[in-house]
Amino acid sequence: MQPSRIQIGRTVKDVSVSASQDQADVEKVLAGDISGFDGIVRRWQSPLINLAYRFCRDRGRAEEMAQEAFLRAYRALNQWRKDAAFSTWLFALATNLYRSELRRIPAKMVALEDIAEHISEPRDSRDWDGGLEDRSRDDAIRRAVFALPAKYREVLVVFYFHGRDVTATAQSLSLPEGTVKARLSRGREILRRKLPQLLITLRWREKEA
Amino acid sequence: MTHDDLDRVLSHEEGILPSSSFATSVMDAVRQEAAAPTPIRFPWMRALPGLVATGLAFAWAFLILFKMTRAAAQFSATEARVLALSLPTDIQPTWITLAVLVTAASLAVSVRFASGRS
Repeated sequence: MQPSRIQIGRTVKDVSVSASQDQADVEKVLAGDISGFDGIVRRWQSPLINLAYRFCRDRGRAEEMAQEAFLRAYRALNQWRKDAAFSTWLFALATNLYRSELRRIPAKMVALEDIAEHISEPRDSRDWDGGLEDRSRDDAIRRAVFALPAKYREVLVVFYFHGRDVTATAQSLSLPEGTVKARLSRGREILRRKLPQLLITLRWREKEA
Repeated sequence: MTHDDLDRVLSHEEGILPSSSFATSVMDAVRQEAAAPTPIRFPWMRALPGLVATGLAFAWAFLILFKMTRAAAQFSATEARVLALSLPTDIQPTWITLAVLVTAASLAVSVRFASGRS
């Protein structure tokens, strides 16, 4: 089933959630009222599912991983020390879980060299309604990120998810900012080196079609 | 392909909507979790005597080993070999009996804890 889509380009910044709302809900849960957790789930379900989706590219699995992240957050709620925003803590917990889940059962990987092959297959009839070249190229780029080695892929996924915020990325991945910057640079360099050839192949395939 | 192109494409990725039942399903799981009995904590206080006894046994064993090493250093190589061969015959039955007793005791204590009789 093709997932219904929304624009989440600036997911975290766009979610206008007051920290006090999160804090109030957490205190409610810690006082024994589970219904407080419902507010947390409803506020953060979309970002957490979308982050998981960017890690695994599988809607069903993304929801399963997000559900597990919420459960772990519920279990560890008393460990949130309030020195950072609740969302920072939640994203770090979820990112950590997603990374270990994908290390345990890796997502279906496609080698950088084989991406053009996959892109040439239309996934959705809407893909062919104009803007074909742009869509295909953008799709190729996103898939290319997915084919990067894990340490670069994780940093790129989280960095763009957080609206290019290095600090938030470093906090989510529990890495020093310097390491994040170095991996970003290296990951982009690999992409820049591999993409031209990939896009030429793609363009050639489109002309053939 | 420049960094800006990459940034533009990767920053504007379309997302997915959570399925309508997602929040309900998470809350069901949370309620189940909350209703489940809290896990039994490890009985540190009860285990303490056993842990202390184990520590003492190890310390005693190291002491004996240390004494034996020092004693062996006083003999010639041949005498040490003879001594090493003769020692186990004296010690083995004692150690085997002790090991069997310790195993039986720990088994009895475990069964007692597990069956809830304390």
